[in-house]
Amino acid sequence: MAARERGTPTVVASHLGLTYRVFGAGSGYREQDEHAWWQRAFGRSTRAVGVREVEAVKDLSFVARHGEAICLVGRNGSGKSTLLRTVAGLMPPTTGSLWIAGEPRLLGVNAVLMSKLTGARNVMIGCQALGMSAAQARAKFDDIVEFSGIGDFIDLPMNSYSSGMAARLRFAISTASVPDILVVDEALATGDAEFKARATERIAEIREQAGTVFLVAHNAATMKEIARRAMWMEKGELIMDGPVDEVVDAYSAKFGRKARAQRAAKAADEAADEAS
Amino acid sequence: MSRVGERPGFGAYLADLWRRRRFVLTLAEGDFVSRHQNNYLGMLWAILNPMLLGGAYYLIFGVLLETTRGTDNYVLFLTSGLFTFIFIAGALTSGSRSIIGRMGLVRSLRFPRIILPSAVTAAELLQALPAFAIIVVIALLTGETPSLEWLLFPVAVLIIGMMFLGVVMILARVLHAVRDTGNLMPLLVRMLRYVSGVFFSIESYASGIWSVILAYQPVAISLTMVRETLLGSMPLRWETWAVSGGWAVLFLVVGTVVFWRGEADYGRA
Repeated sequence: MAARERGTPTVVASHLGLTYRVFGAGSGYREQDEHAWWQRAFGRSTRAVGVREVEAVKDLSFVARHGEAICLVGRNGSGKSTLLRTVAGLMPPTTGSLWIAGEPRLLGVNAVLMSKLTGARNVMIGCQALGMSAAQARAKFDDIVEFSGIGDFIDLPMNSYSSGMAARLRFAISTASVPDILVVDEALATGDAEFKARATERIAEIREQAGTVFLVAHNAATMKEIARRAMWMEKGELIMDGPVDEVVDAYSAKFGRKARAQRAAKAADEAADEAS
Repeated sequence: MSRVGERPGFGAYLADLWRRRRFVLTLAEGDFVSRHQNNYLGMLWAILNPMLLGGAYYLIFGVLLETTRGTDNYVLFLTSGLFTFIFIAGALTSGSRSIIGRMGLVRSLRFPRIILPSAVTAAELLQALPAFAIIVVIALLTGETPSLEWLLFPVAVLIIGMMFLGVVMILARVLHAVRDTGNLMPLLVRMLRYVSGVFFSIESYASGIWSVILAYQPVAISLTMVRETLLGSMPLRWETWAVSGGWAVLFLVVGTVVFWRGEADYGRA
């Protein structure tokens, strides 16, 4: 494990670009009527079957340091999750380069373990996938179950869990040991208030121990509570990087409820002007 | 600092796999359990399935089509070949999907991906153990006399496991790169079933160069190797063991290298 000295860089991105392949990216229903069935069946040109490349992140550069919690804001589809998956070392960069110090760990809503297996087996699998030995995993077992608060459900298959319960268990597994870089992708969104409080506390602990935390959330209060720095992404590009209050306020000013209400009011005024 | 998307050195990669060997077993156990927990009879199916299939094949090939030419103890000849083939077919089918079938795991946790094909092959081996035990029981019931050669039976199974672990690693990478090839897997497995002497003796039906090619291809030689350990009428031949050992080393080495070279790509797509 790298020496955790506050202020030294943990993540360095240089002109990072990320493109991923999507299978079954058809043109959908919209154009179906324009082509005969044989054209749809055989022609790749109709793109009814096929692969499309999606450029999720473009030319992104930043540096993150030990003991820093960074919040990513941006609308759905702006490339936040793709970026975080790369920071977690799970998806290779397409262009540019990304350097990380230490062991990253991703915590996401889609981070399924094996849903057919019991929570208990998933704890063992998850811990060992994170590099613990079987003995270490067994030693952490009670802690994890306790923190997740799912009680007797631990012996039932995970596909019988509610989304909140699954999220709690995943969070408990992923934070069982302090990671150098923790990446939290909306994983707190499904939990109840009590779990959110405990999770926020644990994230603070990780930051205290000089890990770096990346976070995607859509709640301004949560973001301001956990992070000090924020990055605003728009269509795969970084458009603002700075203290969390400034960035989140600027973002809300553009897309928040108030901004929407103001725009709607302005439009209504204009319509009224025209009518009179 | 390390660069994301750069594959580790070959030695470090293997060392990492060795360090996490217990994880391979945990995953294999999980795979095995999840396969059987949706039935009332549960793991009993690991025994019932091969026995029922053996019975069906005996009726079709032994009784109706009489492909028993050149075999002494046809029941043992058939079951030993069939159960071994079921293991091989299972490893090929689920092993080739070991990456694309577990994208959730690949996208959420970081570990050497070689663990996945290894765990799936190990799970297939676990799954096949009851069937291998049945082969020994059938050998006893059909009047074979136990000998020291029987001790080579588990060795043969291990060699076969290594051989197809190598094949599976190659297939897993190919399927990940070009998913369409997944559609060819059932065809490949079916072809192998009919050309590998599962229910007939190759030497008694093919001749000349074809007989040699058919008899020494990886699947057929695997079945022969197993049969030589248990069937009194088939003595051990050094050619069989040399060729299967050769296949095992070749596939394992090539498979590991091929799989490792794709390591940086498995998260994408």
